[in-house]
Amino acid sequence: MRTRSMLAVVLLGMLALAGSGAVLAQGKLIRLTFYYPVGVAGPLAKVIGDMTDQFNKQEAGRIEVVPVYSGDYDPTLQKVQTAVMAGNPPDVFIVEISELHTLLAMNAIVPLDEHVKKAEGGRYWEDFFPAFRENSVVGGKIWWIPFQRSTPVLYWNKEAFRKAGLDPEKPPRSWDELREYAKRLTVRDGSEVKQWGVTISGGWHDWLFEAFVRQNGGWLINAEGTKANFTSKEAVEALEFWVDLLNQEKVGPPHSTWASTPPDFVAGRTAMLYHSTGILTFLKNSAKFDFGVAFMPARKSYGAEVGGGNLAISRKIPKERQEAAWRFIEWMTSAENAAKWSIASGYVATRASAYDRPEMKVHVEKNPEYLVARDQLKFASAKMMAPNYQKIREILKKQLDDAVDGRVNPKDALDTVQRQVMAVIKR
Amino acid sequence: MRTGSRLGVHLGLIALTGVTVTPYLWLLSTSLKERTAVFTPTPQWLPWPVNFGNYVEVFQRAPFGLYLVNTLIVVSGILAVQLVTITLAAYVFARRRFPGRELLFGAFLLQMMIPIHATFVPNFLTLRTLDLLNTRLAMMLPFFASGYGTFLLRQAFRTVPRDLEDAAVLDGCGGLRFLWHVLLPLTRPTLVAFGLISLVSHWNDYLWPLIVTDTPDVRTLTIGLGMFVQQESGADWTLLMAATAFVTAPLMVIFLIFQRRFVESFMTSGLKG
Amino acid sequence: MAIPAARVLTPPRVSARRRQAGTPYLYLLPSLVFLAAFTYLPLATATGLSAVRWNVLTPEPVFVGLDNYRALAGDPLFWLVLRNNLLYAVGTIPTTMALALGAALLVNQPLGRLRAVYRVGLFYPTMVPMVAAAMLWVWLFNPGIGLVNHYLGYLGVPRVEWLYDRHWALPAIIIMSIWKHFGYFMLIFLAGLQSIPAELHEAAAIEGASAWRRFRHVTLPLLGPALLFVFVVAIISSFQVFDQVYVMTQGGPADQTNVLIFFIWQHAFRFWDLGMGAALTTLFVAGLLVTVGVVFRGVGRRVYYEVEG
Repeated sequence: MRTRSMLAVVLLGMLALAGSGAVLAQGKLIRLTFYYPVGVAGPLAKVIGDMTDQFNKQEAGRIEVVPVYSGDYDPTLQKVQTAVMAGNPPDVFIVEISELHTLLAMNAIVPLDEHVKKAEGGRYWEDFFPAFRENSVVGGKIWWIPFQRSTPVLYWNKEAFRKAGLDPEKPPRSWDELREYAKRLTVRDGSEVKQWGVTISGGWHDWLFEAFVRQNGGWLINAEGTKANFTSKEAVEALEFWVDLLNQEKVGPPHSTWASTPPDFVAGRTAMLYHSTGILTFLKNSAKFDFGVAFMPARKSYGAEVGGGNLAISRKIPKERQEAAWRFIEWMTSAENAAKWSIASGYVATRASAYDRPEMKVHVEKNPEYLVARDQLKFASAKMMAPNYQKIREILKKQLDDAVDGRVNPKDALDTVQRQVMAVIKR
Repeated sequence: MRTGSRLGVHLGLIALTGVTVTPYLWLLSTSLKERTAVFTPTPQWLPWPVNFGNYVEVFQRAPFGLYLVNTLIVVSGILAVQLVTITLAAYVFARRRFPGRELLFGAFLLQMMIPIHATFVPNFLTLRTLDLLNTRLAMMLPFFASGYGTFLLRQAFRTVPRDLEDAAVLDGCGGLRFLWHVLLPLTRPTLVAFGLISLVSHWNDYLWPLIVTDTPDVRTLTIGLGMFVQQESGADWTLLMAATAFVTAPLMVIFLIFQRRFVESFMTSGLKG
Repeated sequence: MAIPAARVLTPPRVSARRRQAGTPYLYLLPSLVFLAAFTYLPLATATGLSAVRWNVLTPEPVFVGLDNYRALAGDPLFWLVLRNNLLYAVGTIPTTMALALGAALLVNQPLGRLRAVYRVGLFYPTMVPMVAAAMLWVWLFNPGIGLVNHYLGYLGVPRVEWLYDRHWALPAIIIMSIWKHFGYFMLIFLAGLQSIPAELHEAAAIEGASAWRRFRHVTLPLLGPALLFVFVVAIISSFQVFDQVYVMTQGGPADQTNVLIFFIWQHAFRFWDLGMGAALTTLFVAGLLVTVGVVFRGVGRRVYYEVEG
């Protein structure tokens, strides 16, 4: 009896499957696999699910996108790499922007220039913020489209400012002010630090260091990724400033980890924090005190660079799938969806016109701090990009850490970086 | 045991257990906190106001019920096959002499030594060839043999007196029957220990299941858990703690049931013969 | 002496009657099928790839012989990573084993209902998924707001910066790993203890042997096989450490917590340097194989195996 009812269920199921298959076959449905990471706190897998659902409804019978949550950035990259190497690539995926050269070496993605040129009557690409566009271009071709993008900013604890006798509405605007404020904000109990003045978050401190170099008018690697410039006066001064803050004045922890400094800020253990815009929502939900978001302080000018993830299309899939994947990307990055995604995630919206949308206007009026990162984009440029960027990053981090610990002077540290970096980028 | 020394044992255990479970209690406390009560200048143990909402939110974020079912299927599937493969292999490694025994044993241990990252691409390719991507079986197959389990059981089998085997052989109970009727009952504590360790390790497998599966209908608990850790922002701390409490709870129940098997099992399994 | 003597292992006697149950290779076959497909194939792949240059700058593999190995030998970072991993091994193995054995001896006593509580409590850390455990410990080790410094402070220990300090980051990871792993080994020891016939202890107790002598002359020799197992597994797993480093420090500060598997992962995935990743993998496995072989030849020979009934 039991077996028979089981059999009936199975048969029914197979009929249903066969039926739906027949319906789909008529419209020649293209089913796309879409790998995506979740990089910041929040119900973002749900948001992605809702967005793809909406797209699928709109494209019913033609395209169906299957969103595949693929872990964090690193696991997603590893999943993409494994699938590509094994000849089973996802059709469309998001990975962290520094991976472009790896993807190119793997011959994993196709250039999107043709699509980009035609999209939205030719006005599509110009609408993206220039700083976000830069990490898409290698060899004169556009390889992927900005999607979940961030940039570092300075967070400050207004209550701590008040207690230190500083104006809680005025964050430091320059390096000198930063040092001055940080000294006043550092609270010690004997030799024990109760509150750091400023924390330059570790883990991605190479990314933050690049911003300091830009603020000082310098650059580290040229856009083509062929020349390194770590020994410039601007870079050395930036590192000297770090050593000054963290080793001489001791107004911040010499090292830290990316995940543990937002809790430090929320618990009042650091009065100012350099970190990604990606934690803004987390801070708003967790902090009991008033805090502000500011541009990173300037030296010669303000300066920042960008981060986050882009959307790409696989090379080794049939042309018609690539076309369908493009339809999906174009839809996901429309001004409307860029606004929707930004509101839901806290990422900076990638396109200028997203900020003209009514729902976005309501959002930023209620939460003006979300606009700081967008405004800072005027002073921002690409994250450094080169073949072997990931190796360069590790080389830089090692020397930054050694310099901050006083084991090597800033000039020598950056000389070492320069020498090692040239060895890994020259062909 | 004298009362004095028993008290000493209790005190020692309370101290040690106290240290090991403090992180767990902290995790439970955090899982019941409001987001604004988590990071305080000094640790606050009591969650106040108590907030069960984190657990509710965890379940809204991902289909954890389904993930639990998948996890149970995967870990019990792995263990069932492992028990067969390791018993057979451990038996001959412990009890037989044959050319290449040492070499083959070393080859079994290789499984523990290979860096897991080196296996991803080749194994993905193999599973693709077998058309098994995005199935529960894909998460199990690479673990059906266990060098660890074979080694552990070989050690246990070797402690069983040889005279017992000679007697059994004289009674016409050699080979597989000896294995089944004598060796396995005598090494039950080791089998239980292996079972628990296998269940726990595969319960917590993360990267391989993430790479080899795509859809929620086959995915496992740790993938759901991974959603609460993020590289850019750190973590959804309260949700991560609630999800962890949920993910580990079934393991604790399983452990409580199985650890009873440790109690005096040897006495009852009859080594008197 | 009434304590039954344990006997040094001699190779099992083979009799014609035992052979009839089938050739030993047949018993190994099920395992070997899976090992061949999912262990030996990847291993062979890695060994083959270790002889090519295949990376971001060389998208098509080029045969280079032993160049990758030579490059590694000349890379100071490789030696630093090796040093870190040896420190980690020395920091974790003895402590983990001692704690595991001590805990197993204690929870093997008749302790009433509390015994289950202790066992769960001690085994709990191994049940927590590594991602979550490592994140939790990032917080516990936070110098300002973490529980570790908070309670050490009560004991009068000066504040340590843990993950924020190049000298303390590795010890922090060692402490976390001991917490995480000793439960596994406790379970193995517990199983080993359970297999020791109670009569042996009783006989020794009647003889008037002290608790220490009973441990030294009955328990310890009979735990030999379990000890060898745990020692070998502890060595292997101390070189397999990855997740803690990945989540807690990413190898920093200044590569002070960079360990072998993390280094391999960096090359194979993050740097997309497949040849170098494969060379590292091959070296790694070969090194472990040799180490474990030495242990078997040295310690393994002195292990007592079977009990005379």
